Amino acid sequence: MTLNLDHFETSLLLALFSSVVLGIVTKRTTDERVKYGLYCFGCFMAALFGIGWFMRLLHG
Amino acid sequence: MPATTVAATAAEPIRSPFLVILLAWLLPGAGHFLLGKRGRALLIFASVVLCFLFGVLMRGPLFQPSGGADVLSKLIQYGGFLGDLAAGFPYLLVSFFGYAPPDSASHVSDYGSKLIVAAGLLNILAIVDAYEITTRQKD
Repeated sequence: MTLNLDHFETSLLLALFSSVVLGIVTKRTTDERVKYGLYCFGCFMAALFGIGWFMRLLHG
Repeated sequence: MPATTVAATAAEPIRSPFLVILLAWLLPGAGHFLLGKRGRALLIFASVVLCFLFGVLMRGPLFQPSGGADVLSKLIQYGGFLGDLAAGFPYLLVSFFGYAPPDSASHVSDYGSKLIVAAGLLNILAIVDAYEITTRQKD
């Protein structure tokens, strides 16, 4: 079995797993962990789309 | 005297830090599980193992501790190897069964190798967290 995920799908997976672990290890309460995990995921997405569009504009 | 006893108890590790680090490395989330943080242990286990598994399914190559021609190549190879190794049992398992990605490099396998390294790095974060809980630096 082989997966052929593209760059965007791979980035989504990386953002998801990283956000879960960062939320767990960084904050002290469950509420804070959930909020921080969502915040990290949002930052990953903002960087993904932001840098993606920046490169598109850069290349013309 | 009671104040000294309380201070000594507070500084005393919950479990052997070495045991927690070893278990947390070997089995992602095991350190937290040993400390009674079962929900967190399950999430860490799922995140690290799934990240590694996706990398393997994308046929990402494992980094080898072999030197390249220049310093940068060596740094990448050794750093990547440490990242792979930090994932614990998933890495040992695929190494034991002789996991070999295809010789021809593709962008998909390149993404896969990054996911495999990321799994190891996430496990390092979990190991440090378990260590800090053990030594009472965290709740």
